[in-house]
Amino acid sequence: MLHLTRRQTLRGAAAGAVTMLAGALGAPRRAAAATAITAVEWGGDVVNAMKQIEAKQDKVQVNWVLHQGGSGAILPKIKATWPQAEYDYVAGWEGSFSGMIKEDWLVPVTVATVPNLANIPQKIIVKNAKGEWMAVPRAVGGIYFAYRKDISPVEIKSIEDLFDPRLKGKICWPGPTQSMMLQLVALALHAGGNEHNMDPGWDLMKKLAQSGNIGRIAVTDTDFTTSLTSGETVGGFYSEPQLTAVAKSFPLVRLTKQEGLTTFLYQSGFAVFKNRPNLQPTLDFINFCISPEMSSLYAEVAGEAPLNVKAKTPDSLKHLAFTPEEFDKYVYVPDFNEVLTQQDAWTKRWENEIAPLL
Amino acid sequence: MGGRVLDDGFRLLALVLIGAIICFLLTPIIVTVVMAFDARAYLGPLPPPALSLRWFAQFFSDDYFLRGLSVSVQLAVLSVTISLCVGVTTAFAVERATFAGKEALISLFLSPLLVPPVVTGFALLLFLSHLGLINGFARLLCGHIIITVPYTIRATLAGLAGIDRSLTEAALILGATERRAFWDVTLPLARTSIVSGAIFAFAVSMDDVAVSIMLTDANTFTLPVALISSMRANFDLSIAAASVMLMLVTLALIVILEKFVGLNRVIGQGVFRS
Amino acid sequence: MKRESRRRPAQPGRGSLPLLLPAGAVFLGLFFLPMAGLFLESFRLYVPGSIGSSANAPLTFANYLELLTPAFAGFFFETLRISLFASLTGLLFAFPLAYWMTRSLSPRWRAIAVGFFVTLMFLSVLVRTYALELTFGAAGPLRPLLLSVGISPNGRGYIETLVGAGLLHYIVPMATLTLLGTIQNVDPRLVDAAQALGAPAWKAHLTITLPLCMRGLLAAFLFAFTFSISAFVIPMILGKGRVLFISNLVYNRFSEIADYPSGAAISIVLFAVALAIVYVMSHQVSKRWT
Repeated sequence: MLHLTRRQTLRGAAAGAVTMLAGALGAPRRAAAATAITAVEWGGDVVNAMKQIEAKQDKVQVNWVLHQGGSGAILPKIKATWPQAEYDYVAGWEGSFSGMIKEDWLVPVTVATVPNLANIPQKIIVKNAKGEWMAVPRAVGGIYFAYRKDISPVEIKSIEDLFDPRLKGKICWPGPTQSMMLQLVALALHAGGNEHNMDPGWDLMKKLAQSGNIGRIAVTDTDFTTSLTSGETVGGFYSEPQLTAVAKSFPLVRLTKQEGLTTFLYQSGFAVFKNRPNLQPTLDFINFCISPEMSSLYAEVAGEAPLNVKAKTPDSLKHLAFTPEEFDKYVYVPDFNEVLTQQDAWTKRWENEIAPLL
Repeated sequence: MGGRVLDDGFRLLALVLIGAIICFLLTPIIVTVVMAFDARAYLGPLPPPALSLRWFAQFFSDDYFLRGLSVSVQLAVLSVTISLCVGVTTAFAVERATFAGKEALISLFLSPLLVPPVVTGFALLLFLSHLGLINGFARLLCGHIIITVPYTIRATLAGLAGIDRSLTEAALILGATERRAFWDVTLPLARTSIVSGAIFAFAVSMDDVAVSIMLTDANTFTLPVALISSMRANFDLSIAAASVMLMLVTLALIVILEKFVGLNRVIGQGVFRS
Repeated sequence: MKRESRRRPAQPGRGSLPLLLPAGAVFLGLFFLPMAGLFLESFRLYVPGSIGSSANAPLTFANYLELLTPAFAGFFFETLRISLFASLTGLLFAFPLAYWMTRSLSPRWRAIAVGFFVTLMFLSVLVRTYALELTFGAAGPLRPLLLSVGISPNGRGYIETLVGAGLLHYIVPMATLTLLGTIQNVDPRLVDAAQALGAPAWKAHLTITLPLCMRGLLAAFLFAFTFSISAFVIPMILGKGRVLFISNLVYNRFSEIADYPSGAAISIVLFAVALAIVYVMSHQVSKRWT
């Protein structure tokens, strides 16, 4: 008969408990070689898409940190600890890339380090003053006019329609820190100006403010979505993620190909940071994210059209597919450098001239 | 004679007012509960067409929210404890003293509430980073202490102010030391105000977003911050579910306190029980 | 019987100093020094397009001079006006409420009422503001009622009132709980005596209860006022982006356009003005009623 000493029993029990515990923890045991990186992403559908992409590879394990508010909310934290960097990459758009580039926080990217960049249209890649590529674009979204067909008293087809008295209090207009102020550029373009000559746009904005048609000024992303889903307003000008969120539940007319109403495009992409220990694994992961299959997956889940020319654009994003003629006719590509440098001045001008009129 | 009619008139007015206020205060609670059970994936106009438990399920299934909840509770307990200690000792010291500029000092103790929380958070972020403190939990604790301390100090001061000096003096005459008089006479009488200060502090800490956003780091974040982060395009109604649960927990704690200790003993009833 | 050791007559001021050290450390380290850093930041030059000021940016008054516009004064005035109105109204509601809870309710109902208020304080401010917007806003069920009375739920007056109501929803529970402790310590026999001598109840309360509660009323008012002027979520949602509080302007600068020096300047101005108001009010109240 086998006599188990107390010590043997305890040891066996401990080993058994540890094994059970390890099994119960259940987390997929990645290969010990998986590198841990820290990434900042948008919450909601975007981080869901990114988590699905992460699950399809095993070289990198990501600690997902979410943007808390707009893309600018994380910048003071990065600046406060610089040159110590906490994040390997930060997801952003033109609006946040320019500041980070100016502060010299980012690592330049090349086809050598991120091979899939060869399949991304070079025109869209954000460059610094020296012409180096500074951010990896992954998807493109639109910033444009739209309205809810089911509750709008007016079929909006032009800027003049915005002044229709039947739309009193029914327009949700983006605030001075939203949409890179492209709403004003759209008004300027209609009035014969452009991003370098904005006075016609400001005059038109004043008239719109005084008309009483603006019900809400959206100061955050959710403002716009909630305003439309609750029926407080019927339409306005905003960016892709919010418009997609509304379109999921209501018939939304997306005026991306409407003569007289300008459409803008923004890119969503990766800004890779200096002073971090795992640069190449981060770049490899990003390269994986912009491969054709992963770009399509991202487009399906997050609702922004893929940029990799080899990737398939899902049907739900038809409104963002332009032929070259359509592109020239409906889309306007502003000088982003000018637009972004002017954000401060335009915001202050809004506060001084437009806000009192609302 | 006219005074009586006016009296009754005022009494009626007061009761109507109180009724109206209570209805006003109740409305958002009811709407929040309705929102928490709303089956729609977005924030739509009332009333909701269908009810569902999806938001509660989503809250518990997301590890992100639960981590945030754990940090929030730890922060709240720690910061309120520290704030209470600092607040009660400070209020007592200030109340006893008479020196020129006392009012100025009292105003100064309120100052962290005079700037928007986003400013407090931002200023603290810059300052602590200069000192080299970048650990998220430590930063958050500093932020939560500074936004809760004014409540504990002012609430205690308000409580101490109403206490009749003669009560403390009587204790001293009867042979108590200052410390004994403080613990046995002053503190119990000020208990209601101290407890209310602690409650404010706890509520402020649990609900804070603006200061916390500035001070979180890659690994530590609070529940309100987690809830806000999940809203990029959509207003995520998980926040309504979380709020309902927090209120239920608070209610449960109050009921337990009432059953075992008696709420009136905890919050005190002052010297004059009616 | 052994006497309690070291009994000495109460000397105001003596021995207070060491008790003030914890507060001193906390306030200095966690508030005043950071604010001093902010003060310094407000004098730095901001180059548009960058994130905050650079490390060796030159000093300038530009951030303050920018604020000398009628629009900015308008924002300031509006913040203070709505805050003041909400705070005073809050007190007006909270005082009878607290009095009724203390005097007219049985201990059991009083506990329930206190429990209700405490639970209310734990309702997230973001959710309750959205709840108010859904109920009283332009898309709410009250819309037909408002229109029939001639109030446009989209008009500026209505929006300002709604912001005030939102602030009130936070202020009333806070003020009521603050005043509970104060009213409890007022001897009810004083009012009884006054009434026995022939004074009507309203006059007795006005001349006796109210003055005795002044410190508590001041504390409640200051809580309410400071909360209101620093409010961010409530004006953001209920103000529909059209009624802007100072905190919304500061948020734009700190978290959106990265113009930290300008945000710092606005914060310092708000701090100075609010501190002055608080000090004057405290001083006046203590002079006349203590």
